[in-house]
Parts: sequence; structure tokens; C-alpha cells
Amino acid sequence: MRGTQMMINGMRSGPRHSISTRLWSGLLLTIATKTLLAATPIIEIEIRDHLFIPSQVEIPADTKVKLVVKNLDPTPEEFESYELNREKVISGNSKAVIFIGPLPPGEYPFFGEFNPKTAQGKVVVN
Amino acid sequence: MLLTSVLLILQETLEAALLISILAVLSLQNGYRMLWLIPGFMVGMVMALLYAENMETVSGWFEYVGQELTNASLQTAIALVLLPLAWMLGKAFEIGEKVSRDARTPRKSSWGVLCAMAVALAVTREGSEILVFLQGFLGQSDQARPVAIGSAIGFGIGLSVGLLLFYAQLPLRGPLTRWIPLVLLALYGGNMMSQATLHLIQADWLQSGPALWDSSAWLPEQSVTGRLLYALVGYESSPSAVQAVSYAVGTLAVVGAALAGRKYA
Repeated sequence: MRGTQMMINGMRSGPRHSISTRLWSGLLLTIATKTLLAATPIIEIEIRDHLFIPSQVEIPADTKVKLVVKNLDPTPEEFESYELNREKVISGNSKAVIFIGPLPPGEYPFFGEFNPKTAQGKVVVN
Repeated sequence: MLLTSVLLILQETLEAALLISILAVLSLQNGYRMLWLIPGFMVGMVMALLYAENMETVSGWFEYVGQELTNASLQTAIALVLLPLAWMLGKAFEIGEKVSRDARTPRKSSWGVLCAMAVALAVTREGSEILVFLQGFLGQSDQARPVAIGSAIGFGIGLSVGLLLFYAQLPLRGPLTRWIPLVLLALYGGNMMSQATLHLIQADWLQSGPALWDSSAWLPEQSVTGRLLYALVGYESSPSAVQAVSYAVGTLAVVGAALAGRKYA
């Protein structure tokens, strides 16, 4: 009881803000945080000579990421990953956007279904 | 390249082959004619060719998620076309129980049109991927031969599996077993809805939650069984909740339509 009284006194001794000011600042802070979080990180991968470059990309856990895959080969490729549950055809000399995540930490291999022997890569989430 | 071509073409052919086999069995069981098969397939191939030719343009739509939205639309359309078919089947089953075997149901052209639509949509979706692959690699002088041979083998196996599925379902004419093709049709509807949802998640039009379960340790999707189950019933080793829900909705909608058709026959 005495502790509580001390805490109240302590709060009163600090700078005074009305409840509405606190609510507003809290709300603005929330919006600002959400806006920052909404800026989805972009990771670029190239396909050259049926290889993914880079073949390993690292992304943060529990975050949605926009993969931009540029196919620089004249032949088409299909980005495929069982672990990421993703599949997308990418025409020759064109680019594709694939959203992945939010994901728990771990390794998520992907491959090019049209050239599975060479086109191999993985997303490392940490 | 040979094995890659076999697996790729087989995987894409299986899904369409399954749908055609189910619809063929249901047509024969309920006294409908099979006139829908060839027109449906041909229209599908033309649409697949158009889609494949314009893949790059379509992919660029809606900030590079046009491909996902097109595929999701095609798959949702298939799931929707299955509903009136299921309704008609429910009706046909009920009438079939009341009247004699020969005079089961009237031959309705709407059945054929709906079957043709479902087949055309499925062939568009699966065929376009095959055509993009063939257009890309048949032109490469060093790979043309293995790609052509592999694709022919893959298509042949897919066709054989389709025929096998057809003949496996054909004897199902008992009071209970004749519902099996309808259940398979319902699972196909669920699979389409689940895949459509996945495309919307990939396009960032829908939010994906954490995986509902992870069965990749005991039945990996990339295993032969996993791939077969993926093509046949839409097996996913780590689906999200929204995907599982859409699978259930797609399946139950077909069952519900059949039961409603049976009730109001």
C-alpha cells in the first residue's frame, strides 16, 4: 500500500501529461511502428546460366520479404520451393516478384524446376 | 534434361488427367454423353497457348503478381463450375434411385457445357506451364531431343494414370461406392480453392499465418508419394490455416451442392 502511494507520488512529480496526450502519442507511435514494419524488405536474386546468384539469401525471422527474381537467361525458369510453398514461372529476360514469409528461423531450399541440377539455392531465416 | 522433362510434364498432366477421369466416370454412370471431352480440351489448349505466349505481359500486371492472380482466378473458376455439376449429380442420384436404370436422367446439354468449361480451365492452367517450358527449351539445339523425348514419356505416363484412374472408378456403381467419384470431385474442388489461396498469399493479397502443421519429416512433398498426393488431393506438408480453411470450404461446397440437388430433385 505504501509502495503504491510512493509510485503515485513519483508519477505526479514527473512532467504532467493529460491522458489524451498520452493516448495520442501512443497511437502515433503505433502508427509509426506499423508504417516502418510495412516497408517490406526487398531481396534481389538473379538467374544467370541456370544458376541462382546469390544462391543463398538471409532474411530476418517473422518478417514478410519481397523476392525480386531477375531471369537474365533467354530461357524460362520456374522458381519452386516445397519448403516455402512457392511456385512461379519466370519468362526469359524478365523479372518476377514473389512474397515469402513471415517465417520461423530455419533453412528453406528453392530450385529452378526447369534446370533443377544447377539452379539451386536457399533462404536462411535467422 | 530428359528426367526433368518427364517429371515436369507428368506433374502438370496428372491434375488435368484426374479431373477428366472423374468427370468421364460420372458422365457414364449417370447417363450423360461424353461429347464435352474433345471441345473442352481443344479450347483449353488454345487458351493455354495464348496464356503461354503472353506470360511475360501477364506476369507484369498488378506490380508483377499478374500470374498469381490469373492462376487463382482460373482455379476459383474451376471450383465454382464444379458446384452446378455436383447439384446435377445429386439430382441424378436421387432420380436414379427412384426410376429404372435405363431411364435415369434426361440428357442435359448444360452438363456437357459445364464439363467442357472445367476441362478447358484446367488445361489452360496446366497446359500453359508445359508450353512455356517447351517453347523455351525445344528451340535449344542441344536440348531439343531430350526435352521432346522426356515430354512425350511424361505425357504418356500422365495419360496412362488418367486411364487407370478412369477404369478404377468405373466399376463403382453400388449404392455407396458410386459416391466415391463425387467425393474425389469434392476433394478436387478443395484442392483448387487451396491452391488459389496460396497464389493470393504469394501475391501478398492475403496474409499467411504460421503453418498449421508440418508433416515434411514423414511425408516430404518432393517424394514420389508426396508429388502424387499433391497432384491428386492437393497434399501440402506445411499448409497455413487460411489454406486449410479454403480447402475445407471448397470440398464442403461440392458435397453441399450434391446434397442440395438430391434434396430438391
